[in-house]
Amino acid sequence: MSVLIDKNTKVVVQGITGSMGKTHAALMKAYGTQVVAGVTPGKGGQEQDGVPVYDSVAEAVKETGANCSVIFVPPYMCLDAALEAIDAGIPLISVITEGLPPQDAVKLHAAAQEKGVLVNGPNCPGIITPGESLIGIHPGSIYMPGRVGLISRSGTLTYEIGLGLKQAGIGISTAVGIGGDPIIGIDQIKSLKLFEDDAETDLIILVGEIGGSAEEDAAEFIKDNIKKPVIGYIAGRTAPPGKRMGHAGAIISGNKGTAESKTKAFEAAGVQVAKTPSEIVELVKAKVSVAV
Amino acid sequence: MRLREFEAKALFRESGIPTPQGQVIKVAEEVFSIKNYPCTLKTQVLTGGRGKAGGIKFADNVQEAYEHAQNIFKLQINGDLPTAILIEPKVTIKKEIYTSILIDRAYRGPIIMASAEGGVEIESSGAIEIVPIPDGKYSPYLGRKMANKLGFKGKDVLKYASIVEKLWNVYSNYDCDLVEINPLIIDGDDNFVALDGKVTLNEDSMGRQPRFDGQLAEHLTDLGEREFKGKMLGLNIVELEGNIGILCNGAGLTMATMDLVFHHGGKPSNFLDVGGGANKEHVARALDLVSSDENVKVLLVNILGGITDCVEIANALKYYKDTRPESKLVVRLVGNNEEPAQKIMNDAGIPMTNVLDEAVKQAVAIAG
Repeated sequence: MSVLIDKNTKVVVQGITGSMGKTHAALMKAYGTQVVAGVTPGKGGQEQDGVPVYDSVAEAVKETGANCSVIFVPPYMCLDAALEAIDAGIPLISVITEGLPPQDAVKLHAAAQEKGVLVNGPNCPGIITPGESLIGIHPGSIYMPGRVGLISRSGTLTYEIGLGLKQAGIGISTAVGIGGDPIIGIDQIKSLKLFEDDAETDLIILVGEIGGSAEEDAAEFIKDNIKKPVIGYIAGRTAPPGKRMGHAGAIISGNKGTAESKTKAFEAAGVQVAKTPSEIVELVKAKVSVAV
Repeated sequence: MRLREFEAKALFRESGIPTPQGQVIKVAEEVFSIKNYPCTLKTQVLTGGRGKAGGIKFADNVQEAYEHAQNIFKLQINGDLPTAILIEPKVTIKKEIYTSILIDRAYRGPIIMASAEGGVEIESSGAIEIVPIPDGKYSPYLGRKMANKLGFKGKDVLKYASIVEKLWNVYSNYDCDLVEINPLIIDGDDNFVALDGKVTLNEDSMGRQPRFDGQLAEHLTDLGEREFKGKMLGLNIVELEGNIGILCNGAGLTMATMDLVFHHGGKPSNFLDVGGGANKEHVARALDLVSSDENVKVLLVNILGGITDCVEIANALKYYKDTRPESKLVVRLVGNNEEPAQKIMNDAGIPMTNVLDEAVKQAVAIAG
């Protein structure tokens, strides 16, 4: 077991003939992900690296049984692509695209919620269950399979932690890159719940960053609902207020969204907070008595 | 991108929200064409606290207006010098209200935020009312709902709701992050009038808002020189005050690297996230930009390639080292296409460090 994706996940790549989609469809396939279809309207009937391309998601689902979509289309086409996937009955959609207009994000998440569809992202690295399936842009070789669940708002920081864990001989059940935008689908609370219910996850790492109140909300949730140990980290503790630190969501406004407030909330919920990425690995090592 | 008051009000008027009959002047001498007195002169800068700083003045006659205009054109507020003054006839104010529409993370969508008392420090006052716009789908009852919360009765409910609906149209038609009227006033004739206006456009959405093509540069007055150049190059850069230049990929890793520099006793001179999938030219421009800060003693490059190809980074670093042989570099480069990148680095004679903490410590030691 793992969360969200495993070796049986059948993936359709929307935007498979674009440069991003092409590159990462090939990398996902090489990793062992079942990439069963691609969609580029107008290019149906072609093949991309051995993957059949369809004109619509509905066709792809009908022909291949795809049950997960990864979206690589440009930002202004992204809402339409996601709505098409929702309409075609895809239950899990990962939106890798960065720069989705917020007003489109609102519409996307409203439509997904109405149909009970899970959306990962936007502006995220996707999800990886090491050794089984990779959707999105995670560098697969950086992780090894194991029993630690990883939740993160940042892509490359997730890789940093995955790599550190691997070098320490610690593996991952699933890493969920939830994305750095203010409005996202699968959030920290949803991911925590999935890992709590996953029989193959023993410990959860929650990587947050400054901005918003998602970490404070997650801490509240952990208090009452999560029994597994959680190790936290907040990026941006030295960020100056009022400046957007790369991610659209990473900004300290007034006295809201600070690392202090998040750290305090984590600690109050019994979450151990690491000060540096390498300290996360140390804390995990101390908890994981049985190496996997 | 934040608009100036007169630009925001132009959008309001087009949408049907009444504003005072104003005139924009670009030089002080234009006040001699103003006929209506008393009037208000307002500096058109992109920063808050205009009134306190002396950027808003009242004039009873043309001579006063001329003096004020000359002074306001010379008045720099938070580094922003005005290129325009908005002159409006003074209005009678029966009541001041605050109203805005913005995206709220907690509601996962847009909300109407309002207060029955308009004023400058509205966000910190306790009297804020909120009406969420469910699923981002506006319906006129939402404006009436807010009118009720603010205590309006009878015709005022309809008048207020009509303003909110028009404000929503501005918000949704132009992909705004924020539209705000503060104060929205009820004038002597019982009409609702937008006395001030603030509109912030969402920068990710500007590519589909042709009305604002090419206007970004002149609306970025709150950025430092390198931040401004970075923005024009599509780089996320924040200037800091230390001497260690930072270049990373991905916002979270860049923040973590910045934190780590502080943690190990150093001071970063900047935060620079080159983003995902950067090519050689993009990274080379980023390196040039960071090192143009003369305080920078060492450049700390931390790249974890997922979507980013390490070879592109290595080639950019080689270019940088070739053009600045005396410069100090600490490089940590791992991930996608790592091995050929290492070869390029070896051939260029640039040492690499694979462990992040080690790289940061080295940079801190060099910076002194």
